[in-house]
Amino acid sequence: MNTVIWLVRREFWENRAIWMIPAVIGALMILAALFGRIELMSIPSEVPSRAVGEAFLVGVGLTFFAVLSIYSTWYLLDCLYADRKDRSVLFWKSLPISDWTTVLSKLATALLIIPLVYFVAADLTTLLMAFIVSVRASSSIGGALWHVDLWLQMQVLWVYLIVTAAIWYLPLAAYLLVVSAWAKRAVMLWSILPPLALILAERWFVGTHVITSQLANRLLSLPNVAFHSNPGDKFWVSTVVDNEVVRTPASISSFINAYGFFSSPETWIGVAVGAALIVCAVQLRTRRTET
Amino acid sequence: MTALISARDLTKKYGAHVALDRANFSVEAGRIVGLIGPNGAGKTSALRAILGLTAYEGQLQVLGREPFRERSELMRDVCFIPDVAVLPGWLRVDHAIDFVAGVHPRFRRDRAVALLAKTQITGKHRMRELSKGMKTQVHLALTMAIDAKLLVLDEPTLGLDILARSAFYDALVNDYMDETRTILITTHQVEEVENLLTDVLFINRGHIVLDSSLEEIATRYAAVAVPADRIDAARAEKPFHERRMLGKVVLYYEHPDLAKLAAFGELHTPSVADLFVAKLSGEPE
Repeated sequence: MNTVIWLVRREFWENRAIWMIPAVIGALMILAALFGRIELMSIPSEVPSRAVGEAFLVGVGLTFFAVLSIYSTWYLLDCLYADRKDRSVLFWKSLPISDWTTVLSKLATALLIIPLVYFVAADLTTLLMAFIVSVRASSSIGGALWHVDLWLQMQVLWVYLIVTAAIWYLPLAAYLLVVSAWAKRAVMLWSILPPLALILAERWFVGTHVITSQLANRLLSLPNVAFHSNPGDKFWVSTVVDNEVVRTPASISSFINAYGFFSSPETWIGVAVGAALIVCAVQLRTRRTET
Repeated sequence: MTALISARDLTKKYGAHVALDRANFSVEAGRIVGLIGPNGAGKTSALRAILGLTAYEGQLQVLGREPFRERSELMRDVCFIPDVAVLPGWLRVDHAIDFVAGVHPRFRRDRAVALLAKTQITGKHRMRELSKGMKTQVHLALTMAIDAKLLVLDEPTLGLDILARSAFYDALVNDYMDETRTILITTHQVEEVENLLTDVLFINRGHIVLDSSLEEIATRYAAVAVPADRIDAARAEKPFHERRMLGKVVLYYEHPDLAKLAAFGELHTPSVADLFVAKLSGEPE
């Protein structure tokens, strides 16, 4: 356990982008709150203040989450390859650390530690922005950003999203680790080529689209599997704004569909595929020291 | 006494290329062994196998373990310094010490710190900011602070200037070596390590050509510098190698009859470097 903590610490030393990117995004948003022309903004009185608060929290959260997915992908592709490229793998392998521990620590860094950093950054950003906006702008906007229950729901949402994303994207993350442990160069290219080749081969020789739809499903379906994407009326509040009915969610956390996620066979098929790919990545890490 | 390293029929193939071909050797505890061979002889393959960095065929035991299967356990007792370029550029010196102290049960931080205090390197330096010689000093300090039973050095002074090389070997012999430790070293610079070695392993084309202590070499081999007029008589004693130099011919003999040879000219024990050239030149192409 102690070794794992040191290995994660080492990832922070090597990849300063882990905290620098969310710090920069947060700083930009705070600058926008500080110098943006928010004093000109106002909310129509018909729009519920909670809806504005939700939009704010979810908007900031999604921005961080989008950058997080891109960065984690890059991190996973690079982490085992970088050691081989600069030959430092010979130094790391001269220490009493098993290849299993190494590979799992990188996986945990990508799927749990880095998301937690983004979660904390998103929280700090929303708090600071809400504070700045409430000082600078009209009380209606300022007040909309201070719904404590919404903020707490957002915390639950983040934790739920981190856990479900880690499980749902395990096969993709493990696949990226395999490429990272295997490729002699151009990891980005090597991560795209095999699935592309499979897709094209299936299309030309079999004429079906099973791989395409499976891949697309894995990439895009997390919201459908982990959340009530089409919830019934009890999840929504209807408001009339300018003679139009606007539907806003009753609460953020009401969308969480934990039972659906954990009882879906797709979830566990993904875990099984991910576990097999992790074994491959460890085997490659044991055997490959050269680039 | 059992051997620290014992290899039987150790074989490593890269596709059609055979880097190690049924090599047999053993290394006893407390020795400083030079693994010496030309480029592509199989030195690095042998070291990689010993360190558990590569799969192999045949039998190999290092400290009673199978290196490839038990690398992480083995590395508690084995240290490894390959050439200087392997400490990652982004790593800070103080972080490197913290990290090794954190993961290595036999690392003694105070010793590493004391060794680095003698240099101009500070904790805040990143490896990429250090010269090759300084990087070697850091790596050596990290390694020498580990109470290991076996230290493996693979061309450790590659790319270092003469001063840094000499400092490296001084530190190795004076600060590190004692009777509980064993060192296995490969290098091209045979002359440089000759006076620290207790044993040599010559390797060529994946075979062990010679496995001997330096004392054995002194009794088993002899070289005679023979003037031109006595050359035919000297050749009749079946030297395995001849070398012309400055009007004389130096003849190399295995299991020499010293009394006879003394009549031909000046007798001496060949240096490791000369013996290496003699042994490998005699090998059939």
